[in-house]
Amino acid sequence: MRSLPPAVAELIAALSQLPGIGPRTAERLALFLVQGPKETAEDLARALVSARERVVHCNICGALTETQPCAICGDPSRDISVVCVVERPVDILLIEKAGTYRGRFHVLGGKLSPIDGIGPEDLRIAELESRIDQEPIREIILALPTDVEGDATSHYLAKRLSQKGVKTTRLARGLPAGSALEFADELTLARALEDRHPLDSGSQP
Amino acid sequence: MYVAHLRLRDFRNYPRLDVDFSPGFHLLLGDNAQGKTNLLEAIYLLATLRSFRGASSEQLVRHGQRWYFVGCNLVGPARHDIKLFWSATQRKLTLDGQDVRRLADYLGTLRAVVFCSEDLQLVKGPASRRRRFMDLLLSQTQPTYLPTLQRYMRAVRARNALLKHAIVDEAALDGFTNEVVRAGNEIMKQRRNLAPKLGEMLRLAYRNMSGAPEELRTIYKPSVDGDLAVALAQSRQRERVQRITLFGPHRDDLVLLLDDKPASVYASEGQKRTIALAMKMAQTEYVTALTGSPPILLIDDVMGELDNKRRAGFLPLLELARKSGGQVFLTCTAENWPHDLALDLTRWRVQNGRLSKVG
Repeated sequence: MRSLPPAVAELIAALSQLPGIGPRTAERLALFLVQGPKETAEDLARALVSARERVVHCNICGALTETQPCAICGDPSRDISVVCVVERPVDILLIEKAGTYRGRFHVLGGKLSPIDGIGPEDLRIAELESRIDQEPIREIILALPTDVEGDATSHYLAKRLSQKGVKTTRLARGLPAGSALEFADELTLARALEDRHPLDSGSQP
Repeated sequence: MYVAHLRLRDFRNYPRLDVDFSPGFHLLLGDNAQGKTNLLEAIYLLATLRSFRGASSEQLVRHGQRWYFVGCNLVGPARHDIKLFWSATQRKLTLDGQDVRRLADYLGTLRAVVFCSEDLQLVKGPASRRRRFMDLLLSQTQPTYLPTLQRYMRAVRARNALLKHAIVDEAALDGFTNEVVRAGNEIMKQRRNLAPKLGEMLRLAYRNMSGAPEELRTIYKPSVDGDLAVALAQSRQRERVQRITLFGPHRDDLVLLLDDKPASVYASEGQKRTIALAMKMAQTEYVTALTGSPPILLIDDVMGELDNKRRAGFLPLLELARKSGGQVFLTCTAENWPHDLALDLTRWRVQNGRLSKVG
């Protein structure tokens, strides 16, 4: 390392801050950038700065956007009576990919995690409550992760929002669609068995 | 199942070991501090990813080195190749060349039961020892047990962190209480199912070994008699003071009674030893019954502690393991190796981190 120019060492240090980039990869990327065509580095630098400057959180739902409000919140054809609560902005993309949801979103920005010192006041819950007060929302769909923290957060939200007189639902959990049983882990299978539905009556909840 | 090949690199006092084992009986002979127990520890480590001596991973690295490696070829209904590498910055466990992502997917691949002097703590020690005994049995035999237990412990830790705050957020606490209750109830259900079956095996094992009229009974004692949710709701005042979760499976016990009196208090030293041995025999029997083949038995110098009567009660188990294609490793200092064992055993001399066949 001591034979590298300080500027390269600095670049390596900056790159190692990125998620999933270890010291080796950071070194490879840095050496590529300083030795390759100048335009590559300049294009990257420009893209970085402009993306960072243009991308903001939507004032309403908290999604990543370049416009205020975001494309989904500003879309008049979306159903404004349903809001789907997710942990991270990227979760919106996942649900949008499924293509069947026509309501709007709300990004919580995390989940309750006392071990990491994250409490309700660190999440965008007050924002969600003021949306419920101001928008004609009938149903809140909780689409949080199913780990301990995610489930505890769902439970917490369901209780807190019940005072607002709004219907709260949670995504069903069970088998992945279109796959054999062997691809489900034991806990998922056990839960899927517990939450089984009758087939004949057609009266699924 | 049996370990066909064992490979150690910089593990404990072994710089380098490559050795083939046949099924059946292996006697590891040698003076103290030559590495007999370290060999058992390596096999047990592959079974449970823990040291039965409670050693940390750093302590398993050979003195002055930075990492260790333990690997084995396992022959059972199927053949498996297990590799475990540990260093301060990297740990890697592979099964048949694939990274092991979830512990629950791996545990049970190599099943082993260890008999050692530490076992006495199962009787004398705190309830945590007996909980771990139940957990080990259930995670080897019930696929949903370990993930549920991990989920439970995570929920309890989160809940305890909330209780440490100066002002406890009741609603958030409620969210995690809900998780504690759900996973906790499942764990208690599994432990409640285990106790009678295990208790009966324990009773018989004890009777065979002691030859005495006293009766050993095993009772699962959960931290709550009734509903966990109700108990937690009722203990909120006390939890506010003590700032930890006061009820739940992390406070359970498995109570051992000898003629209806607590064995931890009233049993003699000899009786305690016999109970500890009976617990390990019951564990062996339980795992064998559920999986159809005996686990690998690792016996660390306990034969010397047994009188003839108890030895006679113990030996049939070893014979059974041997006959059913299993494997038994037994450490002994030269002078006390059990001559009453069957003759077809492989003898190894262990000397300063090296292994050589005798005779």
